[in-house]
Amino acid sequence: MCTGCALLCDDIEVETEGDKVTVVHAACRKGVARMKGCSEPLECTVDAEGADMDTAIAKAASILRDAKNPLIFGHGNSSSEAQKISIGLARKTGAYIDDTSSFCQGPIVEAILQERLRTCTLDDVRHKADVIVFWGADPSNSHPRHLSRYSYFPRGKERQRGWEEDRKAITIDIRKSETAIICKDERFYQLPAGGDAEFMAALTNALSGKVPKTSFDLDSKRILGLSNIMKKAKFGAIFVGLGLVYSLEELDPLFALMDKLNEFSDFHLIPMVGQYNMRGFNHNLFAETGYINRLKFDGDSKELAHGPENSVVEVLRNKNIDAALIIGSDPLSSLPLSIARHLADIPLITIDPCNNLTTSRSAVTIPCALGGVESGGTAIRMDGVEVELKKIFDSDRLSDQEILKRITEAI
Amino acid sequence: MGFGQFLAAPEIKLKVVTYRDVFQNTAQESSRFGEDYETLSAVIRLDLKDISKLSIKEGETVILRNGSGKVVVQAQKSGYEQAHPGIAYMVNSPWSNVLVPEDTGGTGVPKFKDFEVTVQSARGASVTGIKEIF
Amino acid sequence: MASVMEIYQLLPKTNCKECGKSTCMAFAVDLLARKVTVDDCPPLVNEAKYKSGYEKLSSMITPVDGVTDTGLIVHDEKCIGCGNCVVACPVNVANDPLGAGSGKAPTSDKVIFKVEDGVVKARNVQECRRFGENRILCVACIDTCPTKAIEFV
Repeated sequence: MCTGCALLCDDIEVETEGDKVTVVHAACRKGVARMKGCSEPLECTVDAEGADMDTAIAKAASILRDAKNPLIFGHGNSSSEAQKISIGLARKTGAYIDDTSSFCQGPIVEAILQERLRTCTLDDVRHKADVIVFWGADPSNSHPRHLSRYSYFPRGKERQRGWEEDRKAITIDIRKSETAIICKDERFYQLPAGGDAEFMAALTNALSGKVPKTSFDLDSKRILGLSNIMKKAKFGAIFVGLGLVYSLEELDPLFALMDKLNEFSDFHLIPMVGQYNMRGFNHNLFAETGYINRLKFDGDSKELAHGPENSVVEVLRNKNIDAALIIGSDPLSSLPLSIARHLADIPLITIDPCNNLTTSRSAVTIPCALGGVESGGTAIRMDGVEVELKKIFDSDRLSDQEILKRITEAI
Repeated sequence: MGFGQFLAAPEIKLKVVTYRDVFQNTAQESSRFGEDYETLSAVIRLDLKDISKLSIKEGETVILRNGSGKVVVQAQKSGYEQAHPGIAYMVNSPWSNVLVPEDTGGTGVPKFKDFEVTVQSARGASVTGIKEIF
Repeated sequence: MASVMEIYQLLPKTNCKECGKSTCMAFAVDLLARKVTVDDCPPLVNEAKYKSGYEKLSSMITPVDGVTDTGLIVHDEKCIGCGNCVVACPVNVANDPLGAGSGKAPTSDKVIFKVEDGVVKARNVQECRRFGENRILCVACIDTCPTKAIEFV
């Protein structure tokens, strides 16, 4: 199983020598780099000095114990088992808990879990989908095998004649991405930045038989053409990328479009989740609390606070936290610098297989096994399907699950 | 590095759109601190018209500035067949994140993919290293 | 992909025959097929006025070791290992319908394309539809490649 992204490809074979992966079959370029491991593995340190695991865990526990308002963040690159322990740790320490979905696909996954948006599996897409829409998404760069494994090129039960006859793939984006190029010009709709909601409303109008107009003068015949293709779809799938998520201020236009589409056809939506188990975190937290992210536990009572003010971004902006535990994530790289800066001012604990900007600023760094290679567990694919990760070989490094368990016990 | 030296060069305001690139992502898996990751990240892709407005050549460095920060990156042609003056593209990376505004309107979601910068030639200056960013 | 005309435009167009070919056009055809290299044209290499043509051609005609009998070249440095060609190739589909044809890693030895270490490898090229007596101009692998990593010369 490849943990390079949330496609979680399960058809990978590897050749190994000792504890090194030497050759990887079938995985994409990015997946191979993930499975072969990074060139700068993380060392176990306390205050930038080499330390043994017990010392690092004791120090991590004392930081979290002393903190009034700790943050536990990351989780996209952790197994579901590790995520559940992390949620328990947050409960125990009265922490804020959040994950990368908070500034990525969170709203879409939430709407799916609340059954506000209809979804399906990637296998359904392969077997049935005849109209596929990539909206604000460029899987050729973010999820390289998406089109070949599921969404465009493969044959499936009801799609036996190949992509040229059996499927229509449409891209809607603000730039002509590599995905747009292979889906061909006539199926590419270029929008101005922030024009998605308006285009969505125009498309919804076209589906209702009204003339679709946009302030950016997209040819209304082309929008009508698209609405006709979508109306006639036997099984449609819309893949929502970050381009769309960031462009929409609220999801209502998307709900309206999906509802309208489903008056005529059978349309489904799948979020283009990036990290391999981001969706798993959303599911696991939802099962325990009814919320997918952005939570604050209150140590003494059973109270929970939820909402944007508890998101990783807002607690950092407002400097609400006095310590942080980061698991399998590099917020100093992935968040705006002006927001992430606060992290460098507070005691940080990071658990990761590799060195990154965040680990370089951490009081405690604890190396963990690489998920899917050196440790196993379960994870949830971008389409909500649970899969089993098998480890390829044993390693000296503990899994993040084990490390989190030991920190919890030490508190 | 003093910024006085750039004062004479023309500057323009551009909208930046960020995107993802599989080669840069691959380099990130190997090392955040590697040369490949910097080469593939610290880049801004410009329209030909904007390149000539800046009186720079492809491959030279430019300084990008806004209320959030400043960073020196390499200028390249975007290669898109359709002209897009006023819009530039950057791969999502710590370099683009220097420039993403802090303001979120309380939503918890920064405008990662859509912000404005002032661009000016930084001829002769080298690209900001990842360790200098923070 | 470069065309013969594009290459020809960048050559001296003097038909000097120093390369051993009768015309610059003949040289362009061979250059596209990688039968000769850019450096086989002496004026292009030696004369300053052809410098920009030399440089453009050198970056356009990237040297390849692995030109196969059908003229299929995979540019490793451009390939992202997405497997679109693996799944789209009609020969792969016919020879391995439940593996490659269904989007999965190939399960047959008879496939033409297979991804290894994140880059596609071509083999069994004699099976390619562009080869042999009943050849057709199939472009399934080229059309589906997001990075133009596959070329026929």
